[in-house]
Amino acid sequence: MPRFSLFYRLICRPLWAEPARTALAALAIALGVAVVLAIDLAGNAATGSFHSSLETLAGDNDLEIVATGGVPERVVGALAAMPYALRISPRIDGYAVLTDTRQSVPLIGLDLVANVSELSTRPSGVDIANLQDSLKYLSDYDTVWLGESFKRGIGDRVPLLINDHLAEYTVRGVFPDSNGSAAAIVMDIATAQRALGRLGTIDRVLVKIPQEMTLDTWQQRLSAILPAGTEVRLAGTSTAENRKMLAAFRWNLRLLSYIALVVGAFLIYNTISVSVVRRRADIGIVRALGASRAAVLIAFLGEAFCFGLLGTVLGLPVGRLMASVAIKLMSATVESLYVSSRPGPLDLDAGAVILAFIIGIGVSVASAYSPAREASLVAPVEAMARGRREYLAAVHKLRDLLWAFALGFAALAASRAPAVGGKPLLGYLATLLLILASALAIPAFVAGAMHLAGRSLGKLFGVEALLASRSLSASLRRTSVLVGALSTAIAMMTAVGIMVGSFRQTVLLWMEDQLPADLYMRPAGNVGPDRHPTISTDLVETIAHLPAVAAIDRLREYEISYDGMPAGLASIELNVLRSYHNVDFLSGRSTNAVLADLRGQNAVIVSEPFANKHQVRAGHSITLSMGETRSGFRIADIYYDYSSERGTILIDRETLLRYLPDPAPSNLAIYVAPGTSIADARATIEHAAAGRRVLLFTNRDLRGEALRIFDRTFAITYALEAVAVIIAVMGVAGSLLALVIDRRRELALLRFLGAASAQIRKLIVAEAALLGMLATAAGVALGFTLSLILVFVINKQSFGWTIRFHWPVAVLVGALSVVYLATVLAGLYPANVAVRLRPIEVVHEE
Amino acid sequence: MRNSLAFLTGLLLLFPVSSQEFRLALPGYHYEFPRDHFSHPDFQTEWWYYTGNVRAAGGHRFGFELTFFRQALDRNPSKTSVWDVRDLYLAHLALSDLDARGFYYAERLNRSGPGIAGVRQNDGRIWNGNWRIDWKGNEQTLQAIDNRFTIELDLRAEKPPIIHGENGVSQKADGPGRASHYISLTRLAAKGQITLGGKPFEVSGLAWMDHEFFTHQLDADQAGWDWLSVQLEDDTELMLFRIRRKDGSIDPYSSGTFIDAQGRSMHLRDSDFVLRPLNDRWKSKATNADYPIHWRITIPKLRMDFEIQTSLPSQELTGGSRLAPNYWEGSVQINGRKGEAPLAGVGYLEMTGYDRPVEMGR
Repeated sequence: MPRFSLFYRLICRPLWAEPARTALAALAIALGVAVVLAIDLAGNAATGSFHSSLETLAGDNDLEIVATGGVPERVVGALAAMPYALRISPRIDGYAVLTDTRQSVPLIGLDLVANVSELSTRPSGVDIANLQDSLKYLSDYDTVWLGESFKRGIGDRVPLLINDHLAEYTVRGVFPDSNGSAAAIVMDIATAQRALGRLGTIDRVLVKIPQEMTLDTWQQRLSAILPAGTEVRLAGTSTAENRKMLAAFRWNLRLLSYIALVVGAFLIYNTISVSVVRRRADIGIVRALGASRAAVLIAFLGEAFCFGLLGTVLGLPVGRLMASVAIKLMSATVESLYVSSRPGPLDLDAGAVILAFIIGIGVSVASAYSPAREASLVAPVEAMARGRREYLAAVHKLRDLLWAFALGFAALAASRAPAVGGKPLLGYLATLLLILASALAIPAFVAGAMHLAGRSLGKLFGVEALLASRSLSASLRRTSVLVGALSTAIAMMTAVGIMVGSFRQTVLLWMEDQLPADLYMRPAGNVGPDRHPTISTDLVETIAHLPAVAAIDRLREYEISYDGMPAGLASIELNVLRSYHNVDFLSGRSTNAVLADLRGQNAVIVSEPFANKHQVRAGHSITLSMGETRSGFRIADIYYDYSSERGTILIDRETLLRYLPDPAPSNLAIYVAPGTSIADARATIEHAAAGRRVLLFTNRDLRGEALRIFDRTFAITYALEAVAVIIAVMGVAGSLLALVIDRRRELALLRFLGAASAQIRKLIVAEAALLGMLATAAGVALGFTLSLILVFVINKQSFGWTIRFHWPVAVLVGALSVVYLATVLAGLYPANVAVRLRPIEVVHEE
Repeated sequence: MRNSLAFLTGLLLLFPVSSQEFRLALPGYHYEFPRDHFSHPDFQTEWWYYTGNVRAAGGHRFGFELTFFRQALDRNPSKTSVWDVRDLYLAHLALSDLDARGFYYAERLNRSGPGIAGVRQNDGRIWNGNWRIDWKGNEQTLQAIDNRFTIELDLRAEKPPIIHGENGVSQKADGPGRASHYISLTRLAAKGQITLGGKPFEVSGLAWMDHEFFTHQLDADQAGWDWLSVQLEDDTELMLFRIRRKDGSIDPYSSGTFIDAQGRSMHLRDSDFVLRPLNDRWKSKATNADYPIHWRITIPKLRMDFEIQTSLPSQELTGGSRLAPNYWEGSVQINGRKGEAPLAGVGYLEMTGYDRPVEMGR
């Protein structure tokens, strides 16, 4: 097996000989693979396996009938009377909080009477064989059935917080809920309607149709007898819509996770390049002894394969571990920004494992291809001579620089292109092109910088720094790769830092304008982007008439589906807004002018994300289904909004009440009377609300809460950046180590020439510091450019927000200092190795 | 005395209700039509029962059964929401394909809800989903939709309503109120369409309607019953039931009614007739119940002597829910003589309590 022994001698032995460096390279791949795997797994669990809670116990139905603000209940009778063999299951969908364990749980109202006689067909999906005995408590208003996973017994009392009302219910039965994935509180429809305050309407009617004829035909038949405002759609549509909504979020996270892998790829490239350079003599010898070019190529690709394999094996358990952390962050984000959901189980299946191996090994082998090919091109004679290699790199740097400019222009062009299918594909292409351009420009940058700075460095920091700068520019190729890797990581960190910082600042400024009230009130339980519990109207009236209160704005929000996407429909009180509030509009018109357009008109204002998502502008008309009717509404203007990515439509409260006459608000904005202190007003309101479960926030509390959610949302982004930086810093340590080992002779000679060990250490640390400096400079420049694309292209195209550019100086300086410090520290270990070299031994080796 | 009693007992087990607030069926009730064709919410239990034998133009024979049942559950005046369960509405639907020997049945339970089920005199409607009766003057239309078959019939009463029993009550056990108000339309000309397996049949024939309302008429010692309706070719009809007691004897409250061609009724006491099973039996694989499917009726004072047989032995309804006990209810043929003259007819037979005693309330 000559080929194998060649592989062993040329590749494996050197790897074993330098375990620390080998481990670092493998670790870099391991971390890259782990991050990609973690985001993929957590993404699957938090959003991919997303199942709307509306599907809990929804059974095997074909169609569902929905309407904004609820389906009028008489529809159920009309459907039941249709002369077709339909199965009709009316349903109430709500949420309750089990206050003893603080779990927020879907609350489902079913017609349990009708279920009894349809045991065999199980319309609701609830196995009610064991519910049947407990049906004798059907007409008690405190009867609930619980999923087994809550671990409650029959007869237990459970405290449930529903809207702003807390009451005790009695468990009359439990049902299997597949280990909590279908966990829910089931009530009879009469009880649920009462508990949620939805008399007169139901939330959905699920319909199972006979086999014959198409769904379309049935959709038309059902629509024909229904009020115009109702919609007949495929069962499970909300799950599909929410998935669609979550897709962009998931996409962005996934792409972010690939950055760690790209940085890992840089390092594999570097490691293999170092291998090749260091073993040129060896390669020359084996070539001279008859090894073919292919054999050499395969040997070095084999080395990369080993790194990839080792890295992936290490990366799998790490990724699984990271995923369990990531899923918490991701599901918190999904929950606070998008939709109520429960993360599914983390599922490390064969597909994910295979994908990890393909990515890990693939990236290693691909990034090793270029150095491996160079190794195979080494002529037997040439290998014996030194110097030519670096000469080539020096010559190429100008050509690469030209390429870099070309790619930069291509990136500029790509960044100006519109979204493709709602996804900022060209925006991502632009970032990729920019990263490539920067990688190509780095040799020229390093050479230029060292040329300019070399002398002054020597003057400022002594001969060690001068030597360090010379050494870096001498091994330009290696330095460039290191600077490239580190600067990419730094650039991404900077870019994301700037984007998040700008976003945060924008939100802060926006809140300044948009949260003018002194106090805000909402029901204590179950608030979410798709859940709008309400405050009892009697409490609202009481508060409105308190002398401490100057005015209240009753905001009511409904969850709607607009053009196949979830959205919010909210009402505001014009007269309150006019006197207290300034809304920022895209048109720049004054609040009063826009609001005047809304009064008494079928007109709305829509949020910026809504306008972007649905491609609408001021003056356009949109059709809204509300209650039983469908009407056209003119878009009076578009307002800036950063509170929801789903998109919101705002309408005058008077107008909305005409269509949906439920006066209970979801939120209250309270303006304190002049001369009354906020603390006093708060105390009075809390006194008035005694016995109700409502939360009262001061303006400051609310802003703090909003920022807390904001920061939590972006925590995972920071975590991903941190991993990329860790990989890069590890790369610096590994490469410096290689450098030290390579330059043993040179270092030994320096010692012979009288260099103190402290000077040697200083030399190596200075190299690390210089690398860090170059990488930081290049990274910040690249990062700034990337941030422009992130803020103005990718964000705009995937989320539709206008973000004002802002340098988060403190955050950036802090983060960059940490990275810089880490890079310098990464030089310490190689420096110690260099100091421990025994000059005599080294010289004797010669 | 119909199988709905069985539903009642099943429901009572599930939904215990005090019967004290309800009115009892007592002698002297003043009947008034069409009012008494519709709902009597003062009484706890009420049912409307349609059975019939029809024949397609090509001779294909069908039997059908459609029953609407109301059980009062809660009369708490504070419960005013549409979904509050004041009454439970149960319904059974069965189609007997006598020639192809198929038997299809379905069960339905609902609350009245927003028009899901109920009885409304203003609209002339008795319904449970899309199983419904619509009164128009003296005529009724019957519509029932199942995923396997549909029945649509026009029913025209050829005789006025019959009131069974004595003095307006059909007594079932000892004590005041252990009785029902029991009305029948014993001869309904039926005409319409049955579709089965996508195939339509234009049919005509005879149907029978029973309507009974009462509060708690049962006796715990009663184990089951056999009920029979007969429509004879001489334009007369018979209704007979016998109640079997747990000790094996026949309850003295068994009774019947004979209706002559002019629509006049004659009450038959327990001692006036013999309703006796013969040896032919059909054993159900589903329930192990052993049903007598061959009977003999003798009514000496009417000089009647008939044998009753069925062409489809497997007309057993085994409910998926525990609301109803298993029972046999099906189309039968009647052959025999009145005096010396041979006389034949069609009818419906119901048998309960053959797998285990029916629980008769509490």
